[in-house]
Amino acid sequence: MVDDKELRRLGGMDAPRASPQARVQALHAAMQAFDAQEEFSAAPQGMAARHRLTDRARKLWRDMMQKKLIAAPALAGLVALPIAGYTALYLVQGSPFTSARHDTPPAEAPAGEAARERAEMKTEALENAVREDAAETEMAAPQAPSPASADMPAARPAPHLQKQMGREGTVSLQQRSIMVHPAPEPFVPAQPNRDKVGSFDSNPVRSAAEQPVSTFSVDVDTASYAYVRRSLNQGVLPQPDTVRVEEMVNYFPYAWKGPESAETPFNADVTVMPAPWNGEHRLMHVAIKGYDVQPAEKPKANLVFLVDVSGSMNEPDKLPLLQSAFRMLVNRLEADDTVSIVTYAGEAGTVLEPTKASDKAKILAAIDGLQAGGSTAGEAGIREAYRLAKQSFVGGGVNRVMLATDGDFNVGQTDDGDLKRLIEGERKAGIFLSVLGFGRGNLNDSMMQTIAQNGNGTAAYIDTLAEAEKVLVQESASTLFPIAKDVKIQIEFNPQKVSEYRLIGYETRALAREDFNNDRVDAGDIGSGHSVTAIYEITPKGAAQQIDPLRYGEASSDNGGVANADEYAFVKIRYKLPDEDTSKLITRPVTAADEVASFAAAGEDQRFSVAVAAFGQKLREEGELAGFGYDRIQQMASESRGADPFGYRAEFLSLVRLAEALSGRN
Amino acid sequence: MAMMLDDGEASDADLIGRARDGDRAAFGALVERHYDFVHRLAWRWSGDRTNAEDIAQDVCVRMGRSIRAYRGDGSFTTWLYALTLNAVRDMARKAARETVKAQAYGVEMLAMAGPDSAADEQLEALWHAVRRLPDKQRDAVLLVYGEGLAHGAAAEVMAISEATVSWHIHEAKKRLKVLVRQAGEV
Repeated sequence: MVDDKELRRLGGMDAPRASPQARVQALHAAMQAFDAQEEFSAAPQGMAARHRLTDRARKLWRDMMQKKLIAAPALAGLVALPIAGYTALYLVQGSPFTSARHDTPPAEAPAGEAARERAEMKTEALENAVREDAAETEMAAPQAPSPASADMPAARPAPHLQKQMGREGTVSLQQRSIMVHPAPEPFVPAQPNRDKVGSFDSNPVRSAAEQPVSTFSVDVDTASYAYVRRSLNQGVLPQPDTVRVEEMVNYFPYAWKGPESAETPFNADVTVMPAPWNGEHRLMHVAIKGYDVQPAEKPKANLVFLVDVSGSMNEPDKLPLLQSAFRMLVNRLEADDTVSIVTYAGEAGTVLEPTKASDKAKILAAIDGLQAGGSTAGEAGIREAYRLAKQSFVGGGVNRVMLATDGDFNVGQTDDGDLKRLIEGERKAGIFLSVLGFGRGNLNDSMMQTIAQNGNGTAAYIDTLAEAEKVLVQESASTLFPIAKDVKIQIEFNPQKVSEYRLIGYETRALAREDFNNDRVDAGDIGSGHSVTAIYEITPKGAAQQIDPLRYGEASSDNGGVANADEYAFVKIRYKLPDEDTSKLITRPVTAADEVASFAAAGEDQRFSVAVAAFGQKLREEGELAGFGYDRIQQMASESRGADPFGYRAEFLSLVRLAEALSGRN
Repeated sequence: MAMMLDDGEASDADLIGRARDGDRAAFGALVERHYDFVHRLAWRWSGDRTNAEDIAQDVCVRMGRSIRAYRGDGSFTTWLYALTLNAVRDMARKAARETVKAQAYGVEMLAMAGPDSAADEQLEALWHAVRRLPDKQRDAVLLVYGEGLAHGAAAEVMAISEATVSWHIHEAKKRLKVLVRQAGEV
């Protein structure tokens, strides 16, 4: 019924002509704007001396107001500026203070009075925020950007960093849009009813001679896998940008060897194996397993559920699913743990004051009483949640706000920069934030990622009760009890053994080389029992290379003679214990002893994780796997299925079959 | 281009160049020439006479503010599309803000005025459905089908990749089926 022919008739629709008055008015307004712009550009020369101070103040004021007016407002269904937009603004402005750019001139911005009042009320807070911001930027300027800090790109807009910039993969997209786009409208505001997903490019192949060091932050998020699963189950291949390979790989539990004591929070296992999709290449498989906290040491938990009860949550796969999930989690808590519930919609409300888990009936009644309705006031909600978390703060325990939403913080703090600062501040005070995404159609994946990363939390996407059980109950120990924070991995390849390498996934988690030793740069957490897997595809020395060797570079690497020339690479892991600010270092060389002769000789879990990585790359339509079919992935996965007590791997196999069928159709 | 012939004398590029150097008259002629195009777009996107006029005026103001910064690396029409789409979006946001303010005082706001009467009711229903699509999907459908742009050109306007435009269109069609069916049932 809705086909191309039908749609093409849209073109035949006539618009009524504008009324002559409107036309005249518009032309007049255009001329005024044109003239105003002229004065504006002329003013600094003639009038600078006399008016400079007031002009500056006014400009600052106006810029702040306008940023608020643009950013503060959006409501139900309308969306916050993504953090990337904010970043883009900074990029364009160069400096946030001195810019003359204004997107909403006072004359044509009769924003609602409510919005204006809000803007005024917030101006002071904003001023502080801006100041902090400046301080941060200055402090951090000599460093490279943290993956989580949106302010950094302002300080370091070097183009080669775009790709590595962290979860805000959208930044590069936004920057591109600035080029194509007319300069004055540089940021296209994000879309209302569409899932928002930051786009990013896959990691390129790098030459070990030129860039021997690869640095990234661990990532234990799993949202991407659930999202892909949902999409495939609905009969659609996922949008390539929604596929984050590392999140798919890390979705599955693996039995990597863990450390013996809590003093070394984790152990790294490295296996080098032939790459199944390219006979000449090898895979370097790095498996990190966190120490499993024994129940005896389990700290007390102080959880605040922050629940989005906006009208859009009123769907079977949202609020009811969330209620069931929280019920399961509550049943799992100890009597001493504390639970509070805050809802947000229209206005934020406390549904349940901090209550001991021993009073289970009261908590369950509060969960059952949740109802959807109204628009979303995220800011007030999150502030209230943090307030309650502080009220029942457990020193040395787990203090966490768990935000469940199907979309955005729509009212109030829609400026992702402010939100990020709030979350970062609370993180420093010891309250972490996890984000659980529900439903589809409005999900703001990039916001979820941003806030979870800044709050030392995880972002998970929940589409079924089984997934809720996996995330909240089975993994609650790991999600809830961080054993190490700011975990960074740096791998130095030995150009004598490895000519090229490519990190599979982790695009949005890349760090600059110098960030590794900088304790101020934020990175991912590892929780109790968590495992993190990273896979590199490497081209051994002597195999066909994609990148031509350097004619002159070659000599220099031979000159001094390389120490430890037999090693493939050197793995360094830096981490902080949860309550410490100084990082510790774990190192491990990768030698021939870590190598297995054939892919089949690698461990079951290694092979399965490689199958998942292959699937993720296939869905991202990466060239490396062009000749490697879904059938081969299926074979790899079914051969390494193992015991699979929860059926995750069986489910993965069915997803591969679905993807194969769907891709064949196109 | 037909538009170039209107005045007979100066091409768009010529007028743009002069306007960027501060030539008032050239800028005036440029706005005058393209006002109807912008207004038509605004009407198509908003489906409402008052809003369309407001949006068109907003676009004119934006042109006045930013013509000096327009570098002319894309086509002028692409630029106008992008300006208009942004204006439409800001307008929608403003409208939503008003709605919440009204709700805060317990006042029910009147829904936006209905569309102007149109001869073809069925087409009107389709328009309605299209306007109810998520922004990106709506923009993609209107640019490709309403304005007859190629996917590549629409991608340039929306500052996204061509593949993403195709994907939005694909999603929009699926959604339209549902929306149109719902409309039929009511």
